[in-house]
Amino acid sequence: MSDLTSLTALEQAKLIREKQISAVELLDQTLEQVKRVDGRPGSLDFDHETEEDKHKVHAFIILTEEHAREKARSVDERIAKGKSVGALAGVPYSVKDVYCTKGIQTTAASKILSGWKPPYDSTVIEKMDQADAVMFGKVNLDEFTFGGSNETTAFKPTVRNPWNTDRVPGGSSGGSAAAVAANEGAISLGTDTGGSIREPAAFTGVVGLKPTYGRVSRYGVIPFASSMDSLGPLTRSVSDAALVLREIAGFDPRDSVTGKVSVDNYLEELKKGVKGMRIGISQDYMQITYMDDNGEYASAPIDPVLLAKMEKAISIYKELGAEIIEDIPMPNTKYSVPSYFVITRIEAYSNLQRYDGLKYGHSTSRPVTDMYDLYYKSRGEGFGYQTKLRLLTGLFASQEKFYEKYYGRAMRARGMLRNDFDNAFNPQGKYRLDVLLTPSTPSAAFPFGGATAKDSLKMQFADQFTSPMNFAGTPGVSFPCGLDNEGMPLGLQAAGYDYCESKILRAAYAFEQATIDEDWRKVKPMVLK
Amino acid sequence: MAEYEVTIGLETHIQLNTITKAFCSCKADSWGDAPNTNICPVCSGLPGALPAANKAMVEKALILCLAMNADINMTSFFDRKNYLYADLPAGYQITQNDKPIGIGGYLDFQMDDGRPVRVRIDNLHMEEDAGKTRNEGDIRLIDMNRCGVPLVEMVTQPDMHSADEAATYLIKLRQLLRWLGISEANMEKAHLRCDANVSIRPKGQVKLGKKCEIKNINSIEAVRTAINYEIQRQIKEVEAGNEIEQWTIEWDNDALELRKMRSKETAADYRYFREPNLMPVVISEEFLQSVKEGMPELPLARQKRFETELGLPAYDASILTADRETSEFFEEAAKVYGEDNKRVSNWMMNEVLRIVNEKGIGVAELKITPSNLADIIRLVDKKTINTTTGKTLVDKVNDSGKDPAALVKELGLGLVSDDSIIREVCEKIVANSPKEKALYLGGKETLIGWFVGQVMREMRGKADPELAKTILESVLKAGEGN
Repeated sequence: MSDLTSLTALEQAKLIREKQISAVELLDQTLEQVKRVDGRPGSLDFDHETEEDKHKVHAFIILTEEHAREKARSVDERIAKGKSVGALAGVPYSVKDVYCTKGIQTTAASKILSGWKPPYDSTVIEKMDQADAVMFGKVNLDEFTFGGSNETTAFKPTVRNPWNTDRVPGGSSGGSAAAVAANEGAISLGTDTGGSIREPAAFTGVVGLKPTYGRVSRYGVIPFASSMDSLGPLTRSVSDAALVLREIAGFDPRDSVTGKVSVDNYLEELKKGVKGMRIGISQDYMQITYMDDNGEYASAPIDPVLLAKMEKAISIYKELGAEIIEDIPMPNTKYSVPSYFVITRIEAYSNLQRYDGLKYGHSTSRPVTDMYDLYYKSRGEGFGYQTKLRLLTGLFASQEKFYEKYYGRAMRARGMLRNDFDNAFNPQGKYRLDVLLTPSTPSAAFPFGGATAKDSLKMQFADQFTSPMNFAGTPGVSFPCGLDNEGMPLGLQAAGYDYCESKILRAAYAFEQATIDEDWRKVKPMVLK
Repeated sequence: MAEYEVTIGLETHIQLNTITKAFCSCKADSWGDAPNTNICPVCSGLPGALPAANKAMVEKALILCLAMNADINMTSFFDRKNYLYADLPAGYQITQNDKPIGIGGYLDFQMDDGRPVRVRIDNLHMEEDAGKTRNEGDIRLIDMNRCGVPLVEMVTQPDMHSADEAATYLIKLRQLLRWLGISEANMEKAHLRCDANVSIRPKGQVKLGKKCEIKNINSIEAVRTAINYEIQRQIKEVEAGNEIEQWTIEWDNDALELRKMRSKETAADYRYFREPNLMPVVISEEFLQSVKEGMPELPLARQKRFETELGLPAYDASILTADRETSEFFEEAAKVYGEDNKRVSNWMMNEVLRIVNEKGIGVAELKITPSNLADIIRLVDKKTINTTTGKTLVDKVNDSGKDPAALVKELGLGLVSDDSIIREVCEKIVANSPKEKALYLGGKETLIGWFVGQVMREMRGKADPELAKTILESVLKAGEGN
């Protein structure tokens, strides 16, 4: 059979179920594809980047070939015997290395966890296994998901953007996005605390879904900021995202924030289209808002190409019978970045306290004087620069004397921001939106080193349009909408209300189908050429 | 020497006797288990694991709040208390900080001399326990079995004014916890732990003195001793013209000494914030109502009722309400017996509680039932057996679990009321005791008691002593003419 790796998960699963291909065959091709494009995996033993490294994707930290082969064989056997199999039977997928996998190293891309093999699987890994998907590897990310470019990983070489390997893949689910874009599996599972699924999805031209907080169990996934962490799929089609969500969503007694809300048949829902849907546009999502050197709010324009894509999307939706509601007020969006900063840093600092060099992972080999010296040295060696930054800012902001100044105020801002969403989506309210349409990011993927470059607002505020949804707990899906002038992918976001994943997926799907034959969709990432 | 007023507040940690831990499904009680065998990813704080609150913990905490007359927060929150220590595997403890389940309340009790005391409660909050640390030489050993065990921390107002009051408060609290069935409250097993805040001030001074916190006091006696030591220490300091510094002090129960742990200046900042992994604890009206309906009558109320309604003396009422099982045993026995509650109280205190003390068991573990006890008292009333036999019968019923009447029959314990048998014995005794007979006939009539005793001994207590006395008198006097 010809190239199976460029197919969607839906297509792959169909071929396997119809016995046109075997799961093992598909796995082999997928592993071949990894060999072809991925280069050497991210590692702690990294010395320096070679010329060859610069042209490879480096999405993976570890391939779990044995594990995958066993699963693929069992799927093939069951299909051969006419037994029933799950919806994702035989489909290879990768997973961001923050999902705990029983007996398989789980690193969070940090040295502090080196060598740790969890004694348990996360709920979502269990669910994917029940759906008979085949986990074949774990992908790189920003250390502890702290970043939007994948550059903070301790496992080098870092992930490169398959569209242009001089550009970042985005992050923190950069490994997931790059793997899917480079046909290294049709599905990768990521996490999103401020845009970590949607931003890299936009940067690599794939679909990235951040479900409602509480839609997918977080049990067994190493946290960043526990009140915002969401898990979701990165895929090459909207249908695949819908397919995967159905398998991983649902109430989990092990995660208290999951809701007892029934899980839709998202794939079926897609067919309903957008006719009659109310799609909103907000000026608060058409510019970058930031604090200038005097601490005043200032704004900067987003990439004009993106504005043009928005215009085009709006006209497509109009043609499809959706109602466009302009000027949706989301006035508290501007508080999102600073208050998000405070809350995530405080939660992150607390979540990082368990890594002490005693129980698992990295422990210093230097002599220590006492327990605290062991903590000090192990943590000093084990945590990377960005992690230390977040720990320190979290420690600073969480001081009891600052409770009101930072945490208290940030929590109130969070409430106000949530009100913006309630006002926009309330079915009895003035706007009654089904979907809020925004750019996913202010620009396309930037070059390496860009996120820390001082003059680049677009890069610093790459999560400006995505983090409010984490704050509000609402869902959003980023989907490809075209290429910028340099041929880099751009993404739009369909954001929705609590547990309304069906609606945002319908909007994304409608756009995808309306533009399926457009020329830009025929352009392939650099590494696939 | 000036006179000082002592002010004491207590922080108690109460281990709830739930089946599973606070936030996972490991069993809560690890007594006797090998270290680190009763743990899971949740309670051992592995990356990615999440807590899920145990409803039984909330219910038991709610019962305590109601018993302490606290205001219930229908919506309360879990918070993280952040600190780094080896026996706290997640790096934070899940507790309740600013919106705990219970606010305010009080415990009323009486001192031994009957003086009433009211200790007000500041708040009650739910939290998880940390693991255990043991130092062996240079090595620090950690046992995480205790991690995640549910506790209620209850903080009192500074309402106690002597070590004796503090100790009595703890005794009454322990009684209440067991009464409510929410904690084993065994201080030696650390089900009930206590820290004491102690300060002194010259009598008449309004402002409280600087307080010192004594940690680690793990028995009622230790509470008494440690607080008294601390009071003496503070008085000595003040008398010497020194200021009391705000210390945290550890009580070493083996060396019987107080040891300074740290000054207040180095107190930690716990950086509390909401535990994002848990939803608020919302108590519905229905749930509250069902818990209220399941609440037992509380010790002090029952004690009062035993006095007023059942007519018991205060002493009896206090003894019989020392624990819930005793009070229920008594009340049931009194109900079955149906008359003279004081008589049942005597039997209960003298016989049933004697067995409990001798065997070192609880009333709940007795084989004898309340209706058995009532039956035994009735057998004595009907003179089927005498009092002495009745008392041994209590033991025999408790040992065998058999019905008292059946046992009397089986063992032949019934009183002999057949004249001829008693007369035969009486004649034998009188015949064998010529000296005593002479003395008796010579006017020392009190010797009749000695003769009755001899008969009873001969018949192993089965004779009706009244009948024996009458027959003896006739036997003794019959021979007068000889």
